[in-house]
Amino acid sequence: MTTVWSGLALGSLYALVALGYNIVLIASGVFNFAYAQLLMLGVYFTYTAEVVLKSPLVGVVVFSAALVAVVAVLEERLAIRPIADRLGSHGTLITTVGVAALINGVVVLGWGTQPLTVPLAIDNKPLTIFGGTVEASDLLLILLVPLAAIGIHFWNTRTLSGLASLAPAEDREAAMVCGINVRRVAIISFAISGVIAGAAGLLIGPQTYADPNLAQNLALLGFVAVAIGGSGHQLGGVVGGFVTGLAYSFAAQYLNATLADIFVFLGFLLVLLTRPHGILGRVAERHV
Amino acid sequence: MSKGSLPGPAGDVRSGRAQADAPGGRLAHRRWRAAPSGGTARSGSAYRLPPALPGLTWLVVVGAVVVAPWAGIGGYWTRQIVLIAIMSSVVSGLNIVFGYAGELAVGQAALYAVGAYVAGYMSVKLGVTDIFLCLAAAIAAVIVVGLISGLPGLRLGGWALAMVTFYLVLLIPDFVNLLPAQTGGAGGLAGIPNPTIFGAQLTGNGLYAVIILVTAAWFILFRNVVKSPYGDRFLVLRQSPVLMSTLGVSVFRIKLLAYVIGAIPAGIAGVFFAFYSTFISPDSFTFTLAITIFAATVIGGSRSIYGAILGAALLIVIPGEFASFNEYATVIFGGFLVLAGVLFTGGLADVARLIGRRLLPGRGNRPEAVAATMSDQALALPAEIPGRELRVESLSKSFGGLRALRDVSLSAAPGSVTAIIGPNGSGKTTLLNVICGYYAPTHGTVRLGDEVLSGRPPHSIARAGVARTFQTPIVPTGMSTQALVATGRTVLSRAGLTQTALRLPRFRKARSADESVVTGLLRALGIDHLAAVDVASLPLGTRRLTETARVLAAAPALCLFDEVASGVDGEDLARLVRVIEGMTRAGATVVLVEHNFPLVLEIADTIHVLSNGELVATGTPSEIAANPRVLQEYVGVAPGAGDDAQPE
Repeated sequence: MTTVWSGLALGSLYALVALGYNIVLIASGVFNFAYAQLLMLGVYFTYTAEVVLKSPLVGVVVFSAALVAVVAVLEERLAIRPIADRLGSHGTLITTVGVAALINGVVVLGWGTQPLTVPLAIDNKPLTIFGGTVEASDLLLILLVPLAAIGIHFWNTRTLSGLASLAPAEDREAAMVCGINVRRVAIISFAISGVIAGAAGLLIGPQTYADPNLAQNLALLGFVAVAIGGSGHQLGGVVGGFVTGLAYSFAAQYLNATLADIFVFLGFLLVLLTRPHGILGRVAERHV
Repeated sequence: MSKGSLPGPAGDVRSGRAQADAPGGRLAHRRWRAAPSGGTARSGSAYRLPPALPGLTWLVVVGAVVVAPWAGIGGYWTRQIVLIAIMSSVVSGLNIVFGYAGELAVGQAALYAVGAYVAGYMSVKLGVTDIFLCLAAAIAAVIVVGLISGLPGLRLGGWALAMVTFYLVLLIPDFVNLLPAQTGGAGGLAGIPNPTIFGAQLTGNGLYAVIILVTAAWFILFRNVVKSPYGDRFLVLRQSPVLMSTLGVSVFRIKLLAYVIGAIPAGIAGVFFAFYSTFISPDSFTFTLAITIFAATVIGGSRSIYGAILGAALLIVIPGEFASFNEYATVIFGGFLVLAGVLFTGGLADVARLIGRRLLPGRGNRPEAVAATMSDQALALPAEIPGRELRVESLSKSFGGLRALRDVSLSAAPGSVTAIIGPNGSGKTTLLNVICGYYAPTHGTVRLGDEVLSGRPPHSIARAGVARTFQTPIVPTGMSTQALVATGRTVLSRAGLTQTALRLPRFRKARSADESVVTGLLRALGIDHLAAVDVASLPLGTRRLTETARVLAAAPALCLFDEVASGVDGEDLARLVRVIEGMTRAGATVVLVEHNFPLVLEIADTIHVLSNGELVATGTPSEIAANPRVLQEYVGVAPGAGDDAQPE
């Protein structure tokens, strides 16, 4: 059962990345490759606020969330919007990878290559639930990430503003004609994903450490979660995240850590081959 | 219509507009410059066959580089040049995959590692040092790894492939640690011996020369593939997978082909890296390397050949000159990718092309003003096309609750023009899309002759002899008009990849056949003076003529024209009509979806009228023109006033 809990804890991390990918993907049709870097940045800002500035807890969250949101908005303004009207997604394929590399480089320059310990913000005593141990911060993450995803999912499917935010990704021009401010939708989606990434630093930092290699792993496994859940599907992303986390955790338990990576990779390839649109994704007919 | 009459000089054009277009009539004003009769002389410039081997300049440059160490450039620059050659190969592979085929494969670094480890394993553990044997084994290995990693990612393309290959890069240490006995594990594989060539040891400058020569040879093959119908297919793929499948090519297979071709140079480069550095470890193949390769591609210009060398050279030389560069490398490359992605996508190669065009005004893509001296006799259409009957049997297509087609049955006979008309949203284009295989029918079947088309994928239907134009013409960027029209002949293509890369006789034969057909078609449509022009710069009407030429280039059994005449007027329309009639006389089955009612009445033999997804009338032009329901529903009450030119 402890393996299950650790799998779920890992899974909630991946689900968190998937959530960020999906928020932007749903609202503006852009795959923000740099989202895992934003999460990593959130961990680093949390570290700075807690350790260097010795800020109170609320201050830490606000500081980190605000700064990451600013970075996300800057990304949208400088790297996405100028090419939003250009055909095809090749442009953002280049620029978001560029932003990711840029953030990675800045993190190494600013904080160095050594992993930094982010102190725990809450009393983190291990709990025993259903015969397995789980730390309180992990449990919080396991509960909060699905809640956030469900919240956004219902906002997207049940409210007018939520539905309107889906339109630009479907058809940018038609959305404009309908009176939807596609630029505002895009920038808000980046800002929201940035706030989530920044705030999450407090919960994920103690688990992952502030490590410059963090983003690469999160980016990949978050993408695996999206691929399993179906791109642009919030609930699918959460399910995909937990499935990935559990698979990883069990593989690491019964095989070994090296094989676990390869095992998850092979599973990912298998999903792409057999269910290219994910478990919950729909197959769209082609447009001519 | 002239069914049964011999396909001869197109003297029997019935249209008044067409007759106004007699030779020497209204065409006179287009005679900018006297051209030789039949003039293919200038129009073929963009499509002229490049020679199998590059010119003298290239040979001189390669020769000079090969002998450079003996001329005393010193050890530092010898090493730098080798690293540039190795990096150029890796980058050239990404140029094929990303620049031409439009798929981002971050995993060049992983394939590079595979090549290096194959060479390391063979020479250290097996004692096999023959460089060609190692190259062959490495190429085989990267093809296998490329297929395994490419198959799942390429089904979705875009980010899926980028992530799968990115994943592969991050897993390099894991795979290396998995087989410590073979790979040396995390500590690396040291003591890689000198390679041998035909039994003789290759050391220092000898190894240098081999690396340069093999890289140069690869670049010749790379250029030959890119400057061929394969390269054009990659460009079409990048722009429009839909068009690609219409041309009879499986989108998935051509993506996989591009990806596997792109893997080969990475494998070659890996072998050279292993032998040159004599030590390899997982630390040599990192995410930073992947980003560096990507940045080199973008800097040099991803859709170029020699841009790969330029980009690689910059990224090798600059960090070498500035000691502190490596610290900032990721930031600089990242910032550069953002800038490049936003500001210029063509890289340094585009800058060079621009300068070249300024300095050498005779070259480049300027329109060649060849006079349109075409006469009716010059209609270069195939004399005989084995047309086949199209039969649509009780076809229905629903999208959710919307029933776009309801129980439609119709047929189109070979050697005749069948028009499908109807108001906007009546299901005309949906019908074409079902025939072409883009939509699976909800119910019913489509047959061509005795073959069942429905249920087959679009490229297979195209190969059965179906070609079409699009309501919004699809024209890729970076292609000449002539090259686009030539892609229409993809279904007839007989020249394989090896034939193409080596410029063997079969390729040359196919190419010259393509060229004469394309030139003839362009002349017949009166756009031969635009042959060398970038097709994306053409106005709508001319794009339609280009698409028509593309459809006709393969002489398909069934031609589907989706509003081919809208945006086309005057003499262009007359030419279009004449060409369509020529194809029909030759025996092709022609289906027109058209809003231009007078035109339909003029050239169609049979007209089917769709309304709300249902077939409401079928008949000859005169029957349809007199049909009260058609007049009421479609044309309006007054006949002839119903020229519904609105785009759908």
